[in-house]
Amino acid sequence: MGAIRRNGAGYLFLSPWLIGFFCLTLGPALASLYLSFTRFDLLNAPEFIGAQNYVRMVTADPKFMASMKVTLIYVALSVPLKLAFALAVAMVLNRGMRGLPIYRAVFYLPSLLGTSVAIAVLWRQLFAADGMVNGILAQFGIIGPSWISNPNYSIYTLVVLSVWQFGSPMIIFLAGLRQIPTDMYEAASLDGASPSRQFWRITLPLLSPVIFFNLVIQVIEAFKAFTPAFVISGGSGGPINSTLFYTLYLYQEGFSYFRMGYASALAWVLVAIIAVFTAISFLTTKYWVHYDD
Amino acid sequence: MVTTITLNNVEKRFGALDVIRGIDLQIKPGAFTVFVGPSGCGKSTLLRMIAGLETISGGDLLIDGERMNDVAASKRGIAMVFQSYALYPHMSVYKNLAFGLETAGYKREEIDRRVREAAATLQITDYLQRKPKALSGGQRQRVAIGRSIVRDPKIFLFDEPLSNLDAELRVQMRVEITKLHERLGNTMIYVTHDQVEAMTMADQIVVLKAGKVMQAGSPLELYNNPENQFVAGFIGSPKMNFASVSVADATGVILNGNRIETGRALTGKTLTLGIRPEHIDIGDGPGQVICDARIELVEHLGGSTVLHVLPPFQQEAMTVMLSGQQPCRSGESVALRIDPKNCHLFDSEGRALPR
Amino acid sequence: MTDAVHEMPGHGSSHPRLSGTVRHVILIAICFVMIYPILWMLSGSLRPASELFGGDAGLIPSQVTVEAYPKGWFGLQINFGQFFLNSLVIAVLATIGNVLAASLVAYAFARLQFWGRGFWFALMLGTLMLPYHVTLIPQYVLFRSLDWVNTWWPLILPKYFAVDAFFIFLMVQFFRGIPKELDEAARMDGCSAWRIYWKIILPLSMPVLATAAIFSFIWTWEDFFGPLIYISEMRNYTVQLGLRSFIDSSGTSSWNELFAMSVLSLVPIFLIFLFFQRLLIEGIATTGMKR
Repeated sequence: MGAIRRNGAGYLFLSPWLIGFFCLTLGPALASLYLSFTRFDLLNAPEFIGAQNYVRMVTADPKFMASMKVTLIYVALSVPLKLAFALAVAMVLNRGMRGLPIYRAVFYLPSLLGTSVAIAVLWRQLFAADGMVNGILAQFGIIGPSWISNPNYSIYTLVVLSVWQFGSPMIIFLAGLRQIPTDMYEAASLDGASPSRQFWRITLPLLSPVIFFNLVIQVIEAFKAFTPAFVISGGSGGPINSTLFYTLYLYQEGFSYFRMGYASALAWVLVAIIAVFTAISFLTTKYWVHYDD
Repeated sequence: MVTTITLNNVEKRFGALDVIRGIDLQIKPGAFTVFVGPSGCGKSTLLRMIAGLETISGGDLLIDGERMNDVAASKRGIAMVFQSYALYPHMSVYKNLAFGLETAGYKREEIDRRVREAAATLQITDYLQRKPKALSGGQRQRVAIGRSIVRDPKIFLFDEPLSNLDAELRVQMRVEITKLHERLGNTMIYVTHDQVEAMTMADQIVVLKAGKVMQAGSPLELYNNPENQFVAGFIGSPKMNFASVSVADATGVILNGNRIETGRALTGKTLTLGIRPEHIDIGDGPGQVICDARIELVEHLGGSTVLHVLPPFQQEAMTVMLSGQQPCRSGESVALRIDPKNCHLFDSEGRALPR
Repeated sequence: MTDAVHEMPGHGSSHPRLSGTVRHVILIAICFVMIYPILWMLSGSLRPASELFGGDAGLIPSQVTVEAYPKGWFGLQINFGQFFLNSLVIAVLATIGNVLAASLVAYAFARLQFWGRGFWFALMLGTLMLPYHVTLIPQYVLFRSLDWVNTWWPLILPKYFAVDAFFIFLMVQFFRGIPKELDEAARMDGCSAWRIYWKIILPLSMPVLATAAIFSFIWTWEDFFGPLIYISEMRNYTVQLGLRSFIDSSGTSSWNELFAMSVLSLVPIFLIFLFFQRLLIEGIATTGMKR
């Protein structure tokens, strides 16, 4: 009787999430898994076509391949750069620095503004043929290309945008660095360990759980990036698919061409990629992530 | 009206872990009962089961004869003082005291009357508008007690309430709580790991170990007649000395070649003899000399002197407590002398042999 | 001055070679580079349209004018005032939903005993990793069948069902830090689960509630994908959608107006940042530090 009442209270408080989980997360997720095996244009009932969507993806869809390539390049470049930058700045900022709150705030600001359309608009103008970057280059007598509309460079402008938003992993690094006891460095200095040795032997191992956390989060976020590519390319992913992020392609398939079965299949491939990446990260933690308990 | 608490074969399991293993206990009405035992013995869990904060896995809890297993904590007529005081940090002292009464739906005037009365009793009237953060440890302790008395409960429970205070304040609060009990006369249960607190405050001590009651009784009963070796070792400070002895005849044991007449009917081959440090003397005098022992360490406490001596018959040192200041030095050899009447005897299972 | 800080034991001992002054120079340089684009946008919004775009990477306009602001404001059939109002209403309603629902659920996870709690908690954490694209199309079908496309419901209602597990997680972390004895004392005082939540947990959780509210507001304000999919009529547009339309409808000739509206769209976030940056930074640091 007491048990029923206790369970009742628990489930009552949980109910908003339970409803949301079943109606807006689990139910739709299962539905989309089913839709991924159908042809579905929103107007007619879904038509079951087996694994055709998945087969088409790998055999007959150059745009899928292009978007996959663009996204992987983006993830592989932006995440390590962003994390390295975040860690470097956090190291410089660490420990009793004067004006730390101000620096931290300024570095964090881009992270906060970053996903808005306004920043994407700004980026488009920064790297335009007659934009600010070329203006600066012109001071040195260099005539820069039109970064945004050149398929060789456009993806890198998005990488720069991502690295510019290093603030939020930096804050997590700062919090992690603060957990490392100062006396550990003092003991190491007394033992004659050089600063670089202290970094490799103390800072990195003790920070590895935080690095791991940041890595997983940032990779997932990078796979999900959408707004900047959409705004900079005007929704096309151009030029020549050079900014066709995976999510942008998914959006086009689903909401421009109304190939919703195919878009669902794309979504599940994204889940699979993220799951594989996360699993690999977790499985390899014992080789490089140091937990002290 | 004073309240009786009865536990019948009460059990608590956390998953596969048995924390409380069949406790039968009668808490005397109006008595100050102390649950004492080493950490992990289940004393706090037992208290929380009585309070209603933990469910009871088996057996019955009766309060004034009524089964309380499934009655909500607040309906049992119980108030509890927590180890951390658990004062609501966002409320003033007044609000802290009034909160339970508000919850119960009392009228504003009644709440005000009771809060002021409790505050006056505990001398915290001056701090009523302060937040807990602005109070000292002792003041917080009083507020915590005040919060329990405003509700006029039948039973008070205290869960190690003094462990966060410094030594001086602890002694002071010990006296205050004892006085409070004398004034109110309610049934109170107090949990502590400190046997000195237990001895000084309790009418009834319940010694627990691994979820079982080892012995329940008045402080002096436990001191004089421990029912087992655990209680004998736990109650009393410094701890009782134990030595392994062999049975010589129907009533005597052999320790270090000396026969000690126990006055008890003995069975078996080997027993454990227990003797309290304060019951050992040195040098010449009445009683029976058992051995010469080397002094390892001397602690001069002023009012008494504690010797750690190494007897020839065992590896472990024994403790001797002498009254007054004694001119002993470590390295010296002294003759240990006991009165056989003060010896305790335990069988191989640790049970005390009846006197 | 800075050297004195450096020489104090324990300060900066991880980098004995970088003197304080050098560090400040590096940091100020990075700050400058980080902020420069934003300042450049601000300065661009204050230039006359006639001023040529290319080449001028400087921050000082030859002539300061605010003409781009009113022009941009009324640059589309429906003015930006409407978009700002729409965004504000959506963000406020979504924020209320997020904070309310997430705190209820987090309280259940952090404090209440019920059968299957560990299981549900693991599932909840699992949804943190799940990209929303998986639920996107069926949700769209669902809301479309409810005739909610081109309304704000799809942007607001899900928040009242705590679909964003991040906020639940954030609050669970905070609630767990509140001493359990307070709940127990309240139970002894006769409080129901609801009263403990309302009278004890919530008042003690103001920092995390504020953090959640701020993040919730900013993320809803900046959300582009949701409105892009669900909102088609311009009178229902959010600011982000308004900006997108502005890009499409205006050529390079009115870039100063585009900048002006972009600057305005960032103002609410910037103000929140200015006043609450401590809460934001602590929020990130605590959720990042989960063990």
